Amino acid sequence: MIGEPILVMLVEDNVDHAELVIRTMEEHRIANRVRHFLDGQSALDYLFRRGEYAEQEKSPRPHVILLDLRLPRVDGIDVLKAIKESDELKSIPVVVLTTSEAEKDVARAYYNHANSYLVKPVGFEEFKKMMDDLGFYWLGWNTNPHIPD
Amino acid sequence: MDRLFKLPDFGNDELDAAARLICSLAVSMAMMSVLFVAAVGVAVPEMLPRALGITGTVTFACAGSVALVRRGRIHAAGNLLVFVLWAAITAGVVTAGGVGAPIFIGYIIVIMVSGLLWQGTMRLIVTVFCVLTAALIAFAQQNALLPPPMDYSPAARFGVYLFFFIIAAILQRVSAYNTRELLKKAQSSEARYRSLLENIPATTYINGLDLQSSFEYVSPQIEKLLGYPRINFTLDPLFWTTILHPEDAERVLEASRQSARTLEPFAMEYRVIAGDGRVVWLKDESVLVRDENGAPSYWLGVWTDITNLKKAEEEQAELIHRMTRRTVQLQTAADVARAATSILDIEELLAQAADLIQKHFECYYVGVFLMDESGEWAVLRAATGEIGRQMLETGHRLKVEDSSMIGWCIKHRQARIALDVGADAVRFANPFLPLTRSEIALPLIAHGNLIGAMTIQSEKPSAFSRVDVTALQAMADLVANAIENARLFTERVLLTQELELQNEELERFTYTVSHDLRSPLVTIRGFLGYLRQDVIAGNMKRFNEDMARIANAVDKMQTLLNELLALSRIGRIANPPEDVPFDAIVWEALNLLSGPLDAAKTRVKVAAEFPTVRVDRLRIVEVVQNLVSNAAKFMGNQAEPLIEIGVQGTDTDGKPIFYVRDNGIGIEPQYHERIFGLFNRLDPSIEGTGIGLTLVKRIIETHGGRIWVESERGKGAAFFFTLPAA
Repeated sequence: MIGEPILVMLVEDNVDHAELVIRTMEEHRIANRVRHFLDGQSALDYLFRRGEYAEQEKSPRPHVILLDLRLPRVDGIDVLKAIKESDELKSIPVVVLTTSEAEKDVARAYYNHANSYLVKPVGFEEFKKMMDDLGFYWLGWNTNPHIPD
Repeated sequence: MDRLFKLPDFGNDELDAAARLICSLAVSMAMMSVLFVAAVGVAVPEMLPRALGITGTVTFACAGSVALVRRGRIHAAGNLLVFVLWAAITAGVVTAGGVGAPIFIGYIIVIMVSGLLWQGTMRLIVTVFCVLTAALIAFAQQNALLPPPMDYSPAARFGVYLFFFIIAAILQRVSAYNTRELLKKAQSSEARYRSLLENIPATTYINGLDLQSSFEYVSPQIEKLLGYPRINFTLDPLFWTTILHPEDAERVLEASRQSARTLEPFAMEYRVIAGDGRVVWLKDESVLVRDENGAPSYWLGVWTDITNLKKAEEEQAELIHRMTRRTVQLQTAADVARAATSILDIEELLAQAADLIQKHFECYYVGVFLMDESGEWAVLRAATGEIGRQMLETGHRLKVEDSSMIGWCIKHRQARIALDVGADAVRFANPFLPLTRSEIALPLIAHGNLIGAMTIQSEKPSAFSRVDVTALQAMADLVANAIENARLFTERVLLTQELELQNEELERFTYTVSHDLRSPLVTIRGFLGYLRQDVIAGNMKRFNEDMARIANAVDKMQTLLNELLALSRIGRIANPPEDVPFDAIVWEALNLLSGPLDAAKTRVKVAAEFPTVRVDRLRIVEVVQNLVSNAAKFMGNQAEPLIEIGVQGTDTDGKPIFYVRDNGIGIEPQYHERIFGLFNRLDPSIEGTGIGLTLVKRIIETHGGRIWVESERGKGAAFFFTLPAA
């Protein structure tokens, strides 16, 4: 991890939530860099290096993906499916981060090989604590696979 | 004498008589000969040898004849007797010297015997032969070719005569006896036949060859059979034709004329009217009787009473007919019942029931009408054949009033039967069904509710009986109940589908609401925490930023709650529909939006003329407001934002089609359906709850209208919707 820049991909349509995530991550120095995408389509374009993200240097592989489920244009579950069906991308841990506690969403996420499912807590301290633990777990304790570029 | 010569029975009166004659003659002649010879021997012994020769020959021939008769050879016996008699007489006459001899009168005996024995030519030949023989002898005597005539004493002459007198007397007696016997026999046989004729259980008759003549004979049974005196038939040549049944008369007379022409046997069954008015079925069979020469003589016929037989036949035929009909009805009922229980699609059920009834009852046309919503019209919903298809295509319907069978039947909730409807003024003249001669109209009543009627039509003038009406009505009831069941089932299916949809939506609703309400809460609580940090750090810029985020989230929550409230109001709270010119609605909506529209410099072009619509005014203002604000929202980088509102013709139901068109970013075709779904949002960068278009769609649909979008990405979007015209 030392010397290697840590990249977190955040797919979140709610700009306020994104701001909360990014702010807490910066404060806790969890990630060197957070790349935020507002919808599923642009996230997939980045991952599959399409359109403006066609160049490899401009679109390095993230170490972990934080994915909201309700997304415009391409839904979160479809983004998850696309990632887990791709040989190149399926190893990247995908953490679902959403406001939905619906059983159906949990089931669909795990069915499509989500690596974790987190519900955004209502409350400042709780939110910070969760982001803290998340950083520790996925980017500290957890041994991530090597993702070839 | 009879007892002495018991003769064989030849089984034929003529032969019996001939045998009797031959034997009587032979025996009496033999006996007479013996007496004669004895008399000659005493009186004139010199003539004995000649007398002995003649009588000996005769006696011998008599014995031979009797022997032949006993063997049954009557003709041979007769021939022998006649010939020998002739020969003996001829010999006697010749030896006695000519025609003067008293034996000459023996020829008379020969002719008489032959006359009694034979008929026709043989009798003639013998007579001629005797006359010729006599003439020849006379000629020979004239020319002195014969010995001189014998001299007979008066006694001798008397003796010979006496011999022949006795023979003649015997002949007379035998022939008289024979005649009497024959007559007696004939009389007894006629009595037998008559009694047979007059006692058999049938009437016999004899009719002349000329049909115009009256009956020559009609047996007395006719009086018991028909109750008319016999004399009517035998005196009045036309009587028979007057009692023929009017429906049969023509064919009977024609057939009898035919028989008279061809002389073929006549056989026919027909009806006559008896004296007491009864209709009697007669079997009339007659044959032509010819005389011995083969010439047609008269018709001999028999009338047999076959009324009971006919009645039984008719009853049986009627029974078979009824049973067949009943079987067909049961079969149809079973098929209809099967269709009724298995088919839940109304149209298919009606079509099947109509086809089944048409097929089994062999009728020309079956049609099923159901009431329309107004209850004023019966609309044809299923009909058989090509005619039916055409009538269905033209949307055939009948008013519920007395002007048609169907209309009458529905109005009075009663079955109606019209046999030969051409004469029934009630029937509506239908150019599609010109061949109809009988019609049944049956009401379709299910659970006490009249839902329509069924018509069954036939080309036959009286195709339906009351029994049929009962059976068909039962079937109609079955169909009616099946229709009702199918209707209920369809209703249930639709209801279930609707419930499922609602359930699904509710699920999505709670899910979305929990997500979308939670989302601003996360923001609010999150940034509240940062507010404190901002204050402590004295970072007023970030404080203001975070405050704005919180305020924004609160606004979002409020909008969401307001819109949810609006959505929940649809269908629950409805303002009574009113007739509103659509332009009034448009301007009201544009007034509400004037602020944001001006701010974005959006130009709105409104058509000059609009129809008046019958709507819940407030709701439709909401619709236009939503659509216009949506259009303004998705303008993208358009330099000259333009929104057009107008009307573009009408749909197939005559509802005007309105549109709201923009020149904004447009919508890709794959999202054209999704945009109307609850909480579905395409662009996260644009504010919205995802409720607006759902709300619009619901409002339009509660008005019985339809909404759709035509758009392509980057080419603007046009939302079309229909509303009921005033």
